[in-house]
Amino acid sequence: MDSRPTPAETFEHGMDDRFLRVALPNFPQLRMEGHMPVGGPTGGLVLRRAIRGQRRRVVSASLLGMTHQGCEALVPVVIGAAIDTAVATGSAQSLLRWLLVLGVLFLVLSTCYRTSARIAEGAGEHAAHRLRLELGARVLDPRGGADANRLPGALTSIATNDARRVGSVATVLPYGCAAIAALTVSAVALLRISVPLGLLVLLGIPPLLWLGHRISRPLERRSEAEQESAAHASGVAADLVSGLRVLKGMGAEAAAVARYRTTSQDSLAAALRAARSRAGHEGALLALTGVFIAAIGIAGAYLAMDGSISVGDLVAAVGLAQFLLGPFQLLAYSNAEFAQARASARRIAEVLASPAAVDGGERQPDGPDTGAGHLRLRDVRLGALRGVDLDFPAGSLTGVVTRDPAAAHDLLLALARETDPAGGRVELDGVPLTELDPDRLRRTVLVAHHDADLFEASLLDNVRAGAADSAADAVDAALAASTADEVAALLPDGADTVLAERGRSLSGGQRQRVALARALAADRAVLVLHDPTTAVDTVTESRIAARLREVRRGRTTVLITTSPALLAETDRVVVLDGGTVAAAGAHTELVTTDEAYRTAVLA
Amino acid sequence: MTAAHEDRTGPAEPGTERDRDMSGTSTHDGTDRALLPTAGGAESRAALRTILHGHRLLAAGAVLVLVVGTGIGLLTAPLLGHVVDLVVDQEGPRALTLPLVLLVAVALARGAAGAAGSALVARLGETVLAAVRERFIERALRLPLERVEAAGSGDLVSRVTSDVAVIAKSVRQALPEFTRSALTILLTLVGLAVLDWRFLLAALLAVPVQVLSVRWYLRRAAPVYAEHRVATGALQHQLLDSIGGVRTVRAFRLNERHTGLLADRSGAARDVALRGLHIVTGFFSRLNLAEYIGLAAMLGTGFLLVRNGSVSIGTATAAALYFHSLFNPVNAALFLLDDAQSAGASFARLIGVANLPAEPAPRSGSVPADGSVKVTGLGHAYADGPPVLSGVDLDVHSGERVALVGASGAGKTTLAKVVAGVHTPASGTISLGGVDVRELGPEGVRRAVTLISQEVHVFAGPLAEDLRLARPEASDAELRGALDAVGALEWAEALPDGLATVVGEGGHRLTVAQAQHLALARLVLADPPVAILDEATADAGSAGARVLEEAAARALVGRTGLLVAHRLPQAAAADRVVVLDGGRVVETGTHDELVAAGGRYAALWSAWSNSRRSADAPAPASAEPTPVPPADRTQAGAADDHLSADAVIRPAAGGPGRR
Repeated sequence: MDSRPTPAETFEHGMDDRFLRVALPNFPQLRMEGHMPVGGPTGGLVLRRAIRGQRRRVVSASLLGMTHQGCEALVPVVIGAAIDTAVATGSAQSLLRWLLVLGVLFLVLSTCYRTSARIAEGAGEHAAHRLRLELGARVLDPRGGADANRLPGALTSIATNDARRVGSVATVLPYGCAAIAALTVSAVALLRISVPLGLLVLLGIPPLLWLGHRISRPLERRSEAEQESAAHASGVAADLVSGLRVLKGMGAEAAAVARYRTTSQDSLAAALRAARSRAGHEGALLALTGVFIAAIGIAGAYLAMDGSISVGDLVAAVGLAQFLLGPFQLLAYSNAEFAQARASARRIAEVLASPAAVDGGERQPDGPDTGAGHLRLRDVRLGALRGVDLDFPAGSLTGVVTRDPAAAHDLLLALARETDPAGGRVELDGVPLTELDPDRLRRTVLVAHHDADLFEASLLDNVRAGAADSAADAVDAALAASTADEVAALLPDGADTVLAERGRSLSGGQRQRVALARALAADRAVLVLHDPTTAVDTVTESRIAARLREVRRGRTTVLITTSPALLAETDRVVVLDGGTVAAAGAHTELVTTDEAYRTAVLA
Repeated sequence: MTAAHEDRTGPAEPGTERDRDMSGTSTHDGTDRALLPTAGGAESRAALRTILHGHRLLAAGAVLVLVVGTGIGLLTAPLLGHVVDLVVDQEGPRALTLPLVLLVAVALARGAAGAAGSALVARLGETVLAAVRERFIERALRLPLERVEAAGSGDLVSRVTSDVAVIAKSVRQALPEFTRSALTILLTLVGLAVLDWRFLLAALLAVPVQVLSVRWYLRRAAPVYAEHRVATGALQHQLLDSIGGVRTVRAFRLNERHTGLLADRSGAARDVALRGLHIVTGFFSRLNLAEYIGLAAMLGTGFLLVRNGSVSIGTATAAALYFHSLFNPVNAALFLLDDAQSAGASFARLIGVANLPAEPAPRSGSVPADGSVKVTGLGHAYADGPPVLSGVDLDVHSGERVALVGASGAGKTTLAKVVAGVHTPASGTISLGGVDVRELGPEGVRRAVTLISQEVHVFAGPLAEDLRLARPEASDAELRGALDAVGALEWAEALPDGLATVVGEGGHRLTVAQAQHLALARLVLADPPVAILDEATADAGSAGARVLEEAAARALVGRTGLLVAHRLPQAAAADRVVVLDGGRVVETGTHDELVAAGGRYAALWSAWSNSRRSADAPAPASAEPTPVPPADRTQAGAADDHLSADAVIRPAAGGPGRR
C-alpha cells in the first residue's frame, strides 16, 4: 500500500486535469514595464497567506494525514507479525488476533485517509477561491491599473490556473506532513527490527531518489518541451476550425488541411520522442527500485540467517522498504508543487501589487441631482493630445471631431479618468478630476466607448446595468431613443432574451444600439459617447440622432464622432487636429466654411 | 501516478467555445442546435479496428513486450519467498548468492522491458491519435458550412480541442498505466494460482467489493464531473466577461455586481469540486475494504495451507506479498476505467464527424467563363422560419460593382451568403460565369467566389502563413504585392518581425482594422473572379471604416464585386445599387437613377444628405453638391485620399492634409 495516488493527483487525473484545467492560449507573459510592485504583496506573502487563511484545515488535515500514513506504514509490520506468530506457529488464536488488529488498522487508516484528504482538498479549493476573489476585486477596482499591459485571457489564466496552484499548497502541506510522519514511523519500526537494516533502508532511499531524479531531470525537461510542441497541433486545429468561415470564404480548405497534416506529423514525431524519453525514465526507475528491494531482501536474509532478526522481521523489512518509496515520492511531489506554486504566487502578487492607474482622490463630486455637470479641459496633454482646451457647459450637447483615433482614445481616457493627463487638467464643475474619487466621479460622468462590451445577461439587464433601481422611465426612454426596443422586438424573448457572451448573438449594429441604450439609461449628469452608431444603418442612425437631444435634455453630452447625422444635432462642434483644437463652431457653419471638416465628416 | 502526470495545456483551446457548447443545446436565438453526429458503439469499434489494422504488428509487439516485462517483474515475489524459505531451512549465506543475482537480473530486465513496452504502447497510441485527428480535420474543414452553423461553431471546436485532448491524455497517461496495471493484475492472479489455486480463490474474495465500488463511483462521478465542467466553464466565462469588459464595468460602476457574480461562480465551482473530491475519496476508502478482505483471506489461506502442509511458509509469504503488491495496480486500473469511458465517448464524437459523407463532387468539369453572377427567382428561409428572401432576381455583369442596400433584416447578408455558397437556396437558381452552381459544386463555387464577412479571423502563426492560406504557392514578393495593393504593407512591415511576426491567438494582436485589411489582402491573393464583401468595415470605427472602404475598392479592382453597403457613400460609389426590403428586390439602378426616381433609395439618400447638411442649413457655399458624385469619389479616393492607413493603424500620425 505504498504510493497510493493522493486524491489531489487522482482527482486532477480524473477531473481536474480533464475539466478544470483551463484551456487557455499560452499568452506570452507580458513584461511589466516601469512597474515595480510597490507596497503590494510579494509572492512569498501570497503563498503564506494562502496557508495561513486555511490554518485550521491545514492543521487538522495534517494530523489526520499523519495518522493515516503511520497506519499505512504499520500494515507490512502487521503482515510480518502475522506470518511470524500465526502462520509459522499454526496458532489460530494468534491469527484471529492479528486479523482483528489488521481490521482495526484498516478502519483507522481508511477513515483518516478519507477525512484528511477531504479537509486538505477543501483547504486548497477554499484558498484558491479566496485568491480568485481577491484577484477579481483588484482587477475590477475603480482605480484600474491591474489590467494595464495584460490581456483578459492572461488575467483569467492567472485567476484560474495560478490561483489553483497557489491554493494547492494548502492541500500539499498536510500531505508533506503525513509523508514525514510515515517516514518516522517506518524508520522507528525498521530500526527496532534491526539497526543495520534500518540504516541501510533509511540511508539508501535518499540516494536512490536522488539518482532517479538525476536520471529523470534532463529527460523530463526534454519531454516537457516536446509535449508542448505536441500540444501545438491541438492549437492549430482549434484555430483552423474557429476560422472555418473565413477559410471557406476564400476556398482555402485544401491548403488548411495540408498545413494541419504537417503540424500533426511534426507533433506526432515530438510526442514519440517525448514518449520514448518518458519510457526510458520509467524503466530506469523500475530497475533501480528492483535492485534496491533485492539488496534489502538479501541483507535481511543474512541477518535472519545469523539469527539477529526473525523471518517475520525480514518480511516486514522488505515490505517497509517497498512502502517507504511512497512517502519519499510524496515528499518529492510536495516539493515540486511548492516550486510551481511559488512561480504562480509571484504572478498573482504582480497583479495584486500593480499600481493604480489613477490615484483615488478623496473628494466626492456633487451628486447628479445637484451637480451642474460642467466639464472643462485646460491645456490637457496626454499621448496624442498636445495641449487641448475644451469647454462643455452644463446641459450642452457638443460634438468633438477628430480624424486621429489616438486623439479620441486619449481624450476618452482623460475624461473617464482611466489615466490622469501628463499635463494640464480636467475639471468637473470647477474641481480637478484628480481630486475626485474615480468611482464617485463615474456617478456623475459616464464615458461610453464605441466598442463597449455587453455582458452575458438579458438585454434589459444589460441596459439597466448603470441605471438607478427606480429609473424604469429612464430605461424605457433610453430603449426608445437608441432604437434598442426594436432590437429587443426581434429577439425570441424580447428584452428578456439573454445575450451571448460579449453580446455576440447580436449584430454589430444591434450591439451598439443596446450599448447606447445602456449609456442613456444610466442618466448621468455628463455623458461622453464615442462613435455610438458606426455599425448602425443610416436610416436608424438618423432616427437615433433625432431622439438623442430630447433624451439628454438638461444634461451635458459630448459626442466624439464624425457622423454627420449626429453632429447635425449638436449645439457646437470642436475639431481636434494635430493634438489641439483646430476649429470650432456649429456643424452647419463648419460644413460650409471648413474644407477639412467637410472631408472629415462627409467623405 | 506521480506529479509528472500533470498534463500541459494546448496553446489554444478556446475554452469559451467549449463552454458554450457545454452550456446547453439551445442557442441565443432560441433555435435548438442540430449537433454534429456521434458515432455509435459499433461504428466506433469498426473505425478503431480499421485504424489498428494498419498497425497490427506494432500492436502485437507492444502487448508481447509488456506481457514479458510484467511476467519478469512477478518473479520478484517468489524469489523473495524463496529467500525466506532459505532462511527458514537454515541454509548457509552462500545459498543467497543465486537469489541475489536473479533478483538484480529480474529488476534490470523488468526495467528494460517496461521501457520498451511503454515506448511501443505510446507509439501505437500516438499514431492512432494522429490518424484520427487528421482524418477529423480533413473532414471537418470540408463540411458544408451550413451544417457547421446549424450545430454551432462551438461543437466542432470542442471536438477538436477537448475531445482530442481527452483522447491524447488517455493515450499518454491512462493507456500505458492501464495496460501495465491490467497485465500486472492478470499475471499476479496467474502467479497466485501457480503458488496454490486456493490463494487465487482467496484473492477473488475482494472482487465483489471492488465491483460494487466501481459501480458506485462511476454512477456518482459522471454527473458531478459534467456539473464541474459546466461550473468551471461558467467561472471562466464570467472571468473573461468581467475582465474583458473591465472598462465598461468601471464606467458603469458595476464593480460590486461583477465581483459578486465572480464570487458566486467561483464558489459554485469550488463546491462542485469538493463534491467530486468527496466521491473520489469515498471510492478509495471503499477499495480499502476490498484490500482488507483480500489480505485477511490471503493470510487465513496461508495459515491453513501451511498448517496442513500444502505450502511452505515462504509460499504463504509470497502470496501475501503478491496480494499486497496488487493494491496499487488495482486502484489505478479501477480508477482509470473512468478515463477509458471518457476517451471512448470522445473517440465516438470524433469518428462521428470523420465518417460524415464528403461534399458532393462537381457534376461537370465546367468552370465559370467570367465573373458574372445571375440569380433567378431566389428564395431562402432559415430552418422553419419565415422566408428571408423571395423571388430575388439579380444579374451582375462581370467586373460590375453592385451595392446591396436595405435596413437590418432586409435580407442583404442572406443574399450574400447564398451567392457565396454558404447556404443552399431553398428555391431559384444561381449561376456564376454562366455555369449553374449545382454543376460547379461547393469547391467550384468557393474557387469562383470569395466572401469576406464581418467576422474576422487571424490565423495563428506567422503573418505570411496566414496570407498563404489563400494561395499556398505565393512568393514573398507576391505577399508583399497583395498587402501593398490594399495599403497594408506599411503596417505589416512595421510589425516586430515584419511578415514573419506571429499573429493571431497567442501572438501579436492585430487591431480589428488590421485583421480586416489582412482579409482583403487574402482576397487579392486568392484572386477569385467574384468577391462579396459583407459589412466588412462596420466594426472599425468611423475613421477606420473609410480606410477599409478604400482598401476594399482596391481589392475589388478587376473582379465582380457584390457589397453589402452600410454607409451610403459606399452605395453611391458602386456601379449599381440594389435595394432590398423584406427579402425582395424593390429598386435597382445607378445611384443617380435611383435618387432621381424618388423611391426608397432616394428617401434614404435624402435622410443621409440632410443629416450631412443639417436640416435647415442654407445651401452649401460651394456650387458643387455636397455629396461628391460617385465617379469622382472613386478616382479621388484612389489618387489623393489623405486618409492613409496610418490614420487607423498608427494613431499617432498627424492630422489630415488640407486641400
